[in-house]
Amino acid sequence: MRTLITLLLTLTISTTTLAQDVLPKMQIETLKGANINLEDISSNDQLVVVSLWATWCVPCKNELDAINDVYDDWVEETNVKLYAVSVDDSRTVKRVKPLVSGKGWEFDILLDTNSDLKRKLNAPTIPLTLLVKNNKILYRHSGYTPGSEDELYEKIKEFSK
Amino acid sequence: MNRYKLIAALLCTPLIVFSQEDDKKDYGKLSGGIESNSQYYVDDSKTGDFEEDDPFRSNNYLRLNYDYKNWFAHIQVESYEPNAILNFYPKYKGTDVGTFAVGYKSSKFEATLGHFYEQFGSGLILRSWEDRQLGINNSIRGANVKYRPTNALEFSALYGRQRDGFEVSDGSIYGFNAEIGLSSLFKLETTGLDLGLSYVGRDEDLDISNPNFESLTNAFSARIDFTEGNLYSSIEYVKKGEDVYSELGNIIEDRYFDGSAWLFNFGYAKSGLGIDATFRRMENMAFFSERDESANVFNQNYLNFIPALTKQHDYGLTNIFVYQSQPRLTFNPIFKSGEIGGQVDIFYNIKKGTTLGGKYGTKLAFNYATWSGLKGNFNINDRTYEDTEFFGFGEKYFEEFSLDIKKKWSPKWSSIVSIVNTFYNARFVEDRIGEVNATALVGEVTRKLGNGKSVRAEVSHLFSDDETSERAKNWAGGTLEYNFSSRLSVFATDIWNYGNPDEDRQIHYYTFGGSFTKGATRVMASYGRQRGGLVCVGGICRFVPENTGFSLSLSTSF
Repeated sequence: MRTLITLLLTLTISTTTLAQDVLPKMQIETLKGANINLEDISSNDQLVVVSLWATWCVPCKNELDAINDVYDDWVEETNVKLYAVSVDDSRTVKRVKPLVSGKGWEFDILLDTNSDLKRKLNAPTIPLTLLVKNNKILYRHSGYTPGSEDELYEKIKEFSK
Repeated sequence: MNRYKLIAALLCTPLIVFSQEDDKKDYGKLSGGIESNSQYYVDDSKTGDFEEDDPFRSNNYLRLNYDYKNWFAHIQVESYEPNAILNFYPKYKGTDVGTFAVGYKSSKFEATLGHFYEQFGSGLILRSWEDRQLGINNSIRGANVKYRPTNALEFSALYGRQRDGFEVSDGSIYGFNAEIGLSSLFKLETTGLDLGLSYVGRDEDLDISNPNFESLTNAFSARIDFTEGNLYSSIEYVKKGEDVYSELGNIIEDRYFDGSAWLFNFGYAKSGLGIDATFRRMENMAFFSERDESANVFNQNYLNFIPALTKQHDYGLTNIFVYQSQPRLTFNPIFKSGEIGGQVDIFYNIKKGTTLGGKYGTKLAFNYATWSGLKGNFNINDRTYEDTEFFGFGEKYFEEFSLDIKKKWSPKWSSIVSIVNTFYNARFVEDRIGEVNATALVGEVTRKLGNGKSVRAEVSHLFSDDETSERAKNWAGGTLEYNFSSRLSVFATDIWNYGNPDEDRQIHYYTFGGSFTKGATRVMASYGRQRGGLVCVGGICRFVPENTGFSLSLSTSF
């Protein structure tokens, strides 16, 4: 146990100099079945929001519903792009397409069916929201409370300049 | 314990390395995450004393990833000290390395040595995965190689043994998979067509002299995915070869059965409307990496992923009667050879500006699920059964209708109403007596208060005719949540079995607590009394006994 504590302490120190500040290099499937490189989505200074969600996650759906209501304005004013990455496993992944259509969400949907991206981002819980530009993670927030999309938009405006 | 000193030393290396950042040399990238879930169990004057050892229990995970150009490595250390939280798989005990791997990955080629997670198709034939809430980590330890000659083709081959606690289970696993993008190969413009073929073998030699016994059990799968415009469909078939029958964990040396599964999915999606229907038939489809483990109640040693295909509900009272899939063949205590059924989901958005849609639109989600046992003629004494009809629906195990209505009334107010009507056949799902009809009604409202503050209130009621002592008859519930900002929230929730005919069982299961989030760090603390029952994540459930106490969860990543 003591060695474990030492280990955790060492880690805490080492974290001060390191950060999970880039998106992992990996291929990820789109809802249409194509594979894209994750690092391409934010290339050429394109600011993107990457949001990890699932069809069974209520706060995730609340967040994406709330963003969807104002998404047109966000795009118009900051040219931001949102990728909603579903971490639904094969039990619920078939629900993604009808749910997205039924809700009329307008953003791009990616599928992380065996949690490869979620694992690489070390995200034990969803929703997880990232702001990314040129593959660099600029802002990270987990959880959703009503209204926190406004805070996210402040960050988007800050980083879109 | 030297292992940890080594890891600690390794962790210090980047400190030195990164202190010379000016050199702009690429020393690779280290990242990782920590998760800790602890419980302190206390005696409860209403529900009884805590009678197990170790009232303080803690599950801890440390994962480190290292990436250097195309190379990658990871190690995950797990610590269950002084013990794992209640009713975890007993082999998760102490502190040790849980998983590790090194590998190489380029766009065409990928190889992993060590523990890996893999899924063929929907997982009906093979899936290795991790869920820390359920205490499942069935990654395979061995080698996994993938080759993608073009965008339309992917071939994988794997060999290894499945993780079992901090060890591996007895059977050797062989797997081959091919994904073939037919639409790219034939340059179809508007139609999507993909073909998948898999083989999984499990080789476990047992000391059985019966000539029918073969150590290697083979399974084959074929699947096709199709999309055209707004329509999509997929079909998957798995055949599992003949294998020795095992009953309540004992191998019956002279009984051999094969298994099969069909999974059919059809959907239609356009803006404002989505429909999805799934049919699944499974006969003797539980596939274990070690035959001895076929009776384990901790969901360990499964090679394939066969969760209940029902809707996962969001509230305390809608999660009392949760279906669990019934893939197994058993003659004892009751005959079951598998399950058949399906579910339909409809998502619909009532447009803005209509009478029902109002100013912001109204979102509807409907689900219907029905599951039955396979029909069959069986002989319990001989342990034989006659193959069933393809569409033979036997005893009904579970049926459910549910409807969620989500409505935003103004920029500040929104609400959700949810109705769930369930038939639950406890005799077949839980191997105990009783059939249950239950209806749950839930209403919740959220009010935004500005500056990130908001409040959410939820009330619920469950009408139930269940007679099982610890959950009999009606329940009422409520939740109040206050968000001070996007970082800090507090909540209090209670479900109350007020209708229980036994007055001593009219218990409040309450919890109150809070959570704090900043960047990648999240802390949650709560105190409460938990109902004994199933904790389900994604259709897989873990039984948790009734308990009272404090819980603390921490997670961070770096």
